[in-house]
Amino acid sequence: MRRHGRVPARAVYARACDESPPNEPLTARRRCRVSGPDPRYSAWSLLRARIAGDGYWRPLWSGRVLADAYDVVVVGAGGHGLATAYHLARDHGVRRVAVLEKRLVGYGNVGRNTTIVRSNYLLPENHYFYEDSLRRWQSLSRDLNYNVMYSPRGVVDLALSDDDWPALARRGNAMRLAGIDAELLDRAGLERFVPELAPRRARRFPVLGGLLQRRGGTVRHDAVAWGYARAASAFGVDIIEDCEVTGVATAAGIASGVETTRGFVRAGRIVFATAGHSGLIGTMLGTPLPIETHLLQAMVTEPIKPLLHTVLVHVFPGHGEAYVCQSDRGGIVMGGHLDGFPSYTREGRWDRLEEVVQGAVDLLPQIAGLRILRQWAGTNDMTMDGSPIIDRLRYDNVFINAGWCYGGFKAIPASGSACATLVATGTAPDLIRAYRLSRFATGHLLDERGGGPFPVRL
Amino acid sequence: MTRLVCPFCGARELGEFEFRKTLPEPGGTPFAQVYERIERPALSVEHWQHVEGCRGWLLVHRNPSTGDVLGTELLGGGPL
Ligand SMILES: Cc1cc2nc3c(=O)[nH]c(=O)nc-3n(C[C@H](O)[C@H](O)[C@H](O)COP(=O)(O)OP(=O)(O)OC[C@H]3O[C@@H](n4cnc5c(N)ncnc54)[C@H](O)[C@@H]3O)c2cc1C
Ligand SMILES: [Zn+2]
Repeated sequence: MRRHGRVPARAVYARACDESPPNEPLTARRRCRVSGPDPRYSAWSLLRARIAGDGYWRPLWSGRVLADAYDVVVVGAGGHGLATAYHLARDHGVRRVAVLEKRLVGYGNVGRNTTIVRSNYLLPENHYFYEDSLRRWQSLSRDLNYNVMYSPRGVVDLALSDDDWPALARRGNAMRLAGIDAELLDRAGLERFVPELAPRRARRFPVLGGLLQRRGGTVRHDAVAWGYARAASAFGVDIIEDCEVTGVATAAGIASGVETTRGFVRAGRIVFATAGHSGLIGTMLGTPLPIETHLLQAMVTEPIKPLLHTVLVHVFPGHGEAYVCQSDRGGIVMGGHLDGFPSYTREGRWDRLEEVVQGAVDLLPQIAGLRILRQWAGTNDMTMDGSPIIDRLRYDNVFINAGWCYGGFKAIPASGSACATLVATGTAPDLIRAYRLSRFATGHLLDERGGGPFPVRL
Repeated sequence: MTRLVCPFCGARELGEFEFRKTLPEPGGTPFAQVYERIERPALSVEHWQHVEGCRGWLLVHRNPSTGDVLGTELLGGGPL
């Protein structure tokens, strides 16, 4: 597999030329004829770009021409769709793959999340899967030849009450039994690892300790979307933006293709990686899913000097829910819990924003008074047990990769690889066998929080 | 969407209410009733509770793409 891990430079270059449609602006076509620079990123290519001047760099991905038929059509150019397409082409040699995106690459949650990656899950099915993903993050920049800025700055789940503490200990022990690193920090240990937490002012809730995963951290989300798109495109995947899938056509009991806003496209197999729109896909196919769509919002302050070197998470209900980290640009990034009711508006309710800020300021009183520069929200595909679904959907050749809830960014590398294997071979690899859709009917739920079939915590 | 109209208490702030679930098709199997949800871009039929008011259960019709509330009624008919 590693053998195929590099992006073939020649492929990127050739496609950029082949695919310029006749009505493409001249400059773009002319650039293709310039003798071929190596678009593989390296110190060498930087040097060559410097010498060559303007016009050296190619667009990251090409594929503006929609063909009539594909072996696999992937719906949704978010992280999961792009990674699935990349692995289909790279690992399984599927040549005719298209990713159809109704808006833009990276417009969805892959570009809206708070970039945290970790594998500190309680249930074995989840922690093995997310651990596989975390390992892949560690080498992803090399595999994609694109710097995704994986930053293992540690993720600390905080205990603010006597009830939080045993819950964290239990989770940490489960992880360690599975060979995943976890450290339970008492108050002194925590203050040593995060001196920023040392109370300078009276704190509303005492910090009792935390569960630290050192390899957890952040990854630059936009780079993940662009890196996968570029690498997939280099393997010949067509990435078609502004192309919404509106229906599935069937023949002889299987799907024959997709109806899109750009016409009908024949497809051997179809993968829906539509994240926050997956509930609507269930309705479209006439198979209601155990999914409800909820908003999650996040916000970022004006940039300041380095203050917080790790990721702080406090997600126990009852006394402020917030998670906080500092972006590489210096902004304090904050998020909290869901807005609490189904929505496609991507607006975010005001009282939740206030709650998140309160929770964050409780943790880090130092940030009180900073101005919030931006606030945004994304639609989350919340399943009834909080875990994802990667399985067939209704037809033998239709697949769904969804139910990522508010934690699917960290899953992208593992999900792309496993989903591609399922689609290419017809058999789900062990890693995702527990993510089958039938688990809701058979009672094999994967409910980390034990909250029952409701995405919203009461 | 910043307020909901409780048929019993009148227009109140959203924070007084708690959403419970989107309703599945009526008459489905117990499995469908518990786990499945019907999602439509322009119509969501939901159960809410006025937890910080009369504590009545409400049937709410909303447009989840715009946030507009299309109608609110007490679940199970008129006031207790
Ligand atoms: C505010 C916020 C913070 C988050 N923080 C984290 C975090 O810190 N860590 C973490 O792991 N996860 C986090 N998440 C969750 C994570 O972002 C998502 O679970 C994940 O990105 C979803 O997968 P995706 O990237 O494939 O989705 P998306 O990027 O949403 O991709 C789905 C794509 O499908 C397209 N689409 C939908 N319907 C159609 C159609 N009919 N035809 C064509 N295209 C269609 C959409 O336009 C979209 O581009 C967060 C989410 C939000 C909203
Ligand atoms: Zn009321």
